[in-house]
Amino acid sequence: MLACCGHCSVSVKELAEYEKLPEQVQLDAEGLREDGFGTTNPFYKCLVAELTSGHKTKEGHTLVAYAMYYFTYSTWLGRSIYVEDIYVMPECRAKGIGHGLLQKIAKIAVEQKCKYLQLVVLDWNKLATEFYIRRGCTDLTTKEGWSLFRFELDALNKLAEGDNRN
Amino acid sequence: MANYRIRPATPDDCADILRLIKELAKYEEMEDQVILTEKDLLEDGFGEHPFYHCLVAEVAKELQTSEGSTVVGFAMYYFTYDPWIGKLLYLEDFFVMQEFRGYGMGSEILKRLSQVAVRSRCNSMHFLVAEWNKPSIEFYTKRGASDLSTEEGWRLFKIDKNYLVKMASEE
Repeated sequence: MLACCGHCSVSVKELAEYEKLPEQVQLDAEGLREDGFGTTNPFYKCLVAELTSGHKTKEGHTLVAYAMYYFTYSTWLGRSIYVEDIYVMPECRAKGIGHGLLQKIAKIAVEQKCKYLQLVVLDWNKLATEFYIRRGCTDLTTKEGWSLFRFELDALNKLAEGDNRN
Repeated sequence: MANYRIRPATPDDCADILRLIKELAKYEEMEDQVILTEKDLLEDGFGEHPFYHCLVAEVAKELQTSEGSTVVGFAMYYFTYDPWIGKLLYLEDFFVMQEFRGYGMGSEILKRLSQVAVRSRCNSMHFLVAEWNKPSIEFYTKRGASDLSTEEGWRLFKIDKNYLVKMASEE
């Protein structure tokens, strides 16, 4: 798994391109390695899909998909699991790999007594939306009105240093 | 009122944390959805690999609530990961009892959380806010938060346990 941080880094960039947000990728293979394998309390877990029996992609890769997830917590229900990314290289799609990855995560979730699985999907991404809805997903942004908010590093530094109530 | 402090929660705080979780759920009109117990909070927050971390706001004994509690606010958070930028701090819940608001406790908790995030080399803090919750939206946007659902189109999806079990048991 350590050796494939380089491959995962390439796949992460491919997914960011697909989501039309490539300029947001700042992490590299070294960062992935450090945060997933260089600590006793890894920040994420990752599953990969690997071609076997000598099969390779056009560019010679055997690692063709990944799914990154981590455990989260709900104050209402307790343990939960969050799927950060699922990505299958375009030439390997429609072969059940995406479903296989999500199924494996579902098994882990059930084993670890998680009450639900959460993820975010871009509103224009109809393919991903359909993929998840078909497997029992609910859109909580529509149904319950939840919006995702973020403080970026600049705002965090200002908050950490003092009063920025404006 | 300057007579309060913000500190990391200890196992003894689990009863108060659960009480505050239920108060916040009541405010969000979801009180019957809280099935978490004190035992869950204890096992999941204070074991070898905690699922969450918690800060509490504690007032001096003479300012305790009508039920005799000195813990009057909490913030639950954990570390998550974004493969584009790395470590994040995720703020799961943040609440100060109504009668103790307006004294700067909320701002102080947020400041402490930001310090934790920066010290832990997180690149961002993420959290959810309900669209109808205008006071919370204002509290956060005044302090520099962006609404990614509006700005970038991210929608929150959930798969409940029954569907997870169904998928997990498929051949």
